[in-house]
Amino acid sequence: MPKRLPDLADLISRITLYDSESAYQQLFKFLFPSLYRFCYCLLRSRELAEETANDVMITLWRNRQRLMDIQNISVYAFVIARNLSLNTLNRHSRRELVSLDDIHVDIALDTLDPEQILINEELKRKLEQATATLPNRCKLVFKLIKEDGLSYRETADILNISVKTVDAHLVTAVKRLTAILKAEFKLM
Amino acid sequence: MDSNKIIELLARKMAGEATATELEQLNELMAGYPDTVYYEEILKEIWQTSAQNNEQLPLDELYLRHQFRYYVDFAAPAERPVSKTYDPFEKLLAGAAGILVILLICFAWWYITDGDGVKTRIVAGKGIRKKLMLPDGTLVWLNAGSQLSYSSDLNKKKIRRVYLTGEAFFDVSHRSNRPFIVRTDKISVKVLGTAFNIQAYPREHTAEATLLRGSIELSVNDRSGQKVILSPSEKFAFTTGRHSRSGKKDYVRNPRDIRMMIDHVVPVKIGQKEYIEETSWKDDRLVFKNESLEELKPRLERWFNVQIHLESDLPSKYRFTGVFTKESITEALTAMQLIKPFTFKLKAHDVIIY
Repeated sequence: MPKRLPDLADLISRITLYDSESAYQQLFKFLFPSLYRFCYCLLRSRELAEETANDVMITLWRNRQRLMDIQNISVYAFVIARNLSLNTLNRHSRRELVSLDDIHVDIALDTLDPEQILINEELKRKLEQATATLPNRCKLVFKLIKEDGLSYRETADILNISVKTVDAHLVTAVKRLTAILKAEFKLM
Repeated sequence: MDSNKIIELLARKMAGEATATELEQLNELMAGYPDTVYYEEILKEIWQTSAQNNEQLPLDELYLRHQFRYYVDFAAPAERPVSKTYDPFEKLLAGAAGILVILLICFAWWYITDGDGVKTRIVAGKGIRKKLMLPDGTLVWLNAGSQLSYSSDLNKKKIRRVYLTGEAFFDVSHRSNRPFIVRTDKISVKVLGTAFNIQAYPREHTAEATLLRGSIELSVNDRSGQKVILSPSEKFAFTTGRHSRSGKKDYVRNPRDIRMMIDHVVPVKIGQKEYIEETSWKDDRLVFKNESLEELKPRLERWFNVQIHLESDLPSKYRFTGVFTKESITEALTAMQLIKPFTFKLKAHDVIIY
């Protein structure tokens, strides 16, 4: 399951009080992968995603004097990532405004352990197809909870929706997956 | 209907959001439909596989690029309000110095394994602490800015003799009738098998030996008739010329004057823990109790590999107590600023305190 640095609060206090670059480096290594993946699924470009994730991190560093007032640094970073990504998309698109609903999101069910034969290639393809037709917000909810291990509350804050909606989206996504399994294994 | 409920609860369980009652309910429901175990298995698998592929990004490289890109933001942050001096090459320089020291140590090792009857010299540069094992099994922790040399066939000799400049902690492996002798430019220590710390930096007037267990025989160079036997937890300090603590700079005493002092080693209690100031450096801890900045200066310089310039009298009289482990020089000085007010400037390897 996604790891949580136990001393995230400690890192933040070192950054705020001592301007510690080594603490910032640890924070960078902890947050960057998640931010990068999140930006990538919004922006669909590795370069743009890397740039945006970099911008998010430097925003944290530049605001380091205020970081200790922030309750949840991950959510804060993700919200910045969301805003910056949407800004970028708006700048790059000819359309009036891009919203989270217009974005194409992929859910990868990749890198399976070769020893695990429970899910074979064929089934994987079917599962991916099933998730591909989910609504965008639903996919984003699924991604954030599954891949970044965020809680309902955190996901709700990042996507600006209610906790109940997060739950509903996740249940929808899981239902879609299990429907495939049901047909595949002829379960109840 | 039940199966829908099961899926709903499974989704919450996977997200870690299910309450205790919901988990209980899920177990009850699943007991009625044994097939649903497959759902849970496969969902778990889907969940875990994506958690694993987190760590594929070259994070070190990405961080370097990040720092390079925003190098203005990372320039000497501690002196933000005062001025803007920054040195993007500092890290490079430190890296180069590190590589040099590693090369030196490799070179020394090559000598040990290759040479026969040849002298081996091991140098730990400033800011580097090294643990090594001598051919006879003795463990040596070499402190920053220190040098240890010995003949490569140390293990075959009747008397095991090593030469030290700087500071080292020895855990001597016991050999009956084959004493182990450490010579420095000020004092010599003769042992059979014990653990002790010895400090004799050439530019300082004081040499110290601290014994943890066993016993050691100490002698001051040029006065071989005089011998001091130390018992465990005792410390021997030897001072030549003027006192290092006397403030009067022009007051020069006869350099042949010496002072020997034997003291108990008293553990320093800081926070909840106790430390032995003399030997905690080997566990990567810099411990100091009620020491003035002036006294601390050489230790900080060696520990962090910097040159410290005290440009004002007042801060150098401040006294500090504390422990540093992994802190960088900037973090350490910023922490000390919280205790006593002073300002500092960091420029490559120079620290100016004023």
